Amino acid sequence: MLRVENLRVVYQEVISVLHGVSLKVPDREVTVLLGANGAGKTTMLRTICGLLPVYEGKIIEGNVFLDEKLLNRLDSSTIVKKFRATYVMEDRPVFWYLTVEQNLKVAAFSRWNKEVAADVEKVITVFPVLGSLRETKAGYLSGGEQQMLAIGMALMTRPKILLLDEPSLGLAPLIVRELFSIIRNLNQEGLTIFLVEQNAHAALSVAHTGYVIENGRIVLDGPSQELIKNKDVREFYLGAARGEQQRFREAKRYKRRKRWL
Amino acid sequence: MDFLQSLGSGILSGLAYGLLGLGLVLIFRASEAFNFAVGEFLVIGGFLFYILYFGWHLPFLIALPIGLGAAAVFGAIVERLTIKPLMGRPALSMTIVTLGLSNILAGGLQATAGSNPYSFSLGLPDLTVEVGLLIYPSPQVWAGLLSIIFFCLILLFLYRTRWGLVIQATSESQPKALCFGINAQFVLLLVWAIATVCIGAAGIVIANLGALSYQTSLVGLRAIPVVLIGGLDSIPGALVGGLIVGVVEALTGAYVEPLGLIGFKEVVPYLVLLVTLFIRPYGLFGTVRIERV
Repeated sequence: MLRVENLRVVYQEVISVLHGVSLKVPDREVTVLLGANGAGKTTMLRTICGLLPVYEGKIIEGNVFLDEKLLNRLDSSTIVKKFRATYVMEDRPVFWYLTVEQNLKVAAFSRWNKEVAADVEKVITVFPVLGSLRETKAGYLSGGEQQMLAIGMALMTRPKILLLDEPSLGLAPLIVRELFSIIRNLNQEGLTIFLVEQNAHAALSVAHTGYVIENGRIVLDGPSQELIKNKDVREFYLGAARGEQQRFREAKRYKRRKRWL
Repeated sequence: MDFLQSLGSGILSGLAYGLLGLGLVLIFRASEAFNFAVGEFLVIGGFLFYILYFGWHLPFLIALPIGLGAAAVFGAIVERLTIKPLMGRPALSMTIVTLGLSNILAGGLQATAGSNPYSFSLGLPDLTVEVGLLIYPSPQVWAGLLSIIFFCLILLFLYRTRWGLVIQATSESQPKALCFGINAQFVLLLVWAIATVCIGAAGIVIANLGALSYQTSLVGLRAIPVVLIGGLDSIPGALVGGLIVGVVEALTGAYVEPLGLIGFKEVVPYLVLLVTLFIRPYGLFGTVRIERV
């Protein structure tokens, strides 16, 4: 179980991004973190994976526990190797100038052994699209293929928990549906998934529980079925109007600035 | 005849320049910094070998790997002390650091080794090539030969081993490498070590053409047109740039300098560089970066 307690994170000593966030990602479940741009979703994931120092960020308060062990001061390669938590960055973190197969192999570098070749085959059975593209440079793949490759690369590290940062970013709705069905399958095979998304429809359909983050604070949480019904979530994240259908002219921008709680 | 003679010796020394350029390209790809201390790295590589071979009288085949190993350790130490603390900062700051490093090392070299030249004849088997009227003296042939061997070894390492793969990946993007559990800091250390080996090996073969002194570091300046002509981030570009610089230099030495333009050979690579950059701003083989404003 991944547990985040009262996390406060600042960038460059001054830019405060997370103001005391707490959340839990239970084992073998899909947990989703919803939020608008700049809410602190990506920062959350960077913090968990020990990537903050790269971006000149710092935890000034709070703790991140994975399986009851503190992750705060560990570097990313230890977290991947020892804790088997792998972060798939947003915008499809594949190595453009390497081929698909090389990408998969390089991702397995932290635990290089004879099983790597077998694991490449396994990942290709999860993402059959990649099979015919083995020798293609990843930079030439389409967005959907790149995203699948990125998740495949994360699987090569044999994670226990997968942290996905906006896998649906910039993809066609059909591809998004395919991707989320793969995510659901991965979860059913026992992988814990922490999903960060803006696409609330798709994300809530696969998640067990959800959190809504706004301006660095968790404003709402609960089982995803409840969140889907929640009228604020419906209005702000699912695009449904409150009660009756509203006319665009009457939709007021200031309503967006809701004070939660 | 004259033409073939200078073309040949240009190619031979060009191969050594190519090796020098490879060292710079590796560093640039990984840290995006231009290593201005290349001249001093070259002299230090030469001196480390000098101590083992001439000082301790080790056989060539033992002194060479140990000397280059020592150069690798030196490169690694430099990376740890000067580059690693700057990780995540703009690449320009690293480049500036190498400028300062260059001055410190140059001073250190002069203080420890003195300013007198050390004679540096390796006493390798005579490989002088004589075809008709063409003569390529043994040190030049060795320079070309050793350079091409090193170049191939480094390429094999980069493109045929898993460590090479990881270096390519990390050079492309450190954050991406980090999130797949690759220890990017160690990879950078490795890259600097390998690049220092390249530069040191080039130092040994270049010193073998004449003598070794702290002023040999001026040859390092030659690496600037080499990598800029070839493209700062291109490995084949380093070789091609090296050959171009070597050949242009030799031909200028043979045809232009006798006309009274003494020392013009030092200038000509920069003229070629200027023309190249007018036509291809990223060098002949450099990746044209797509930047959206």
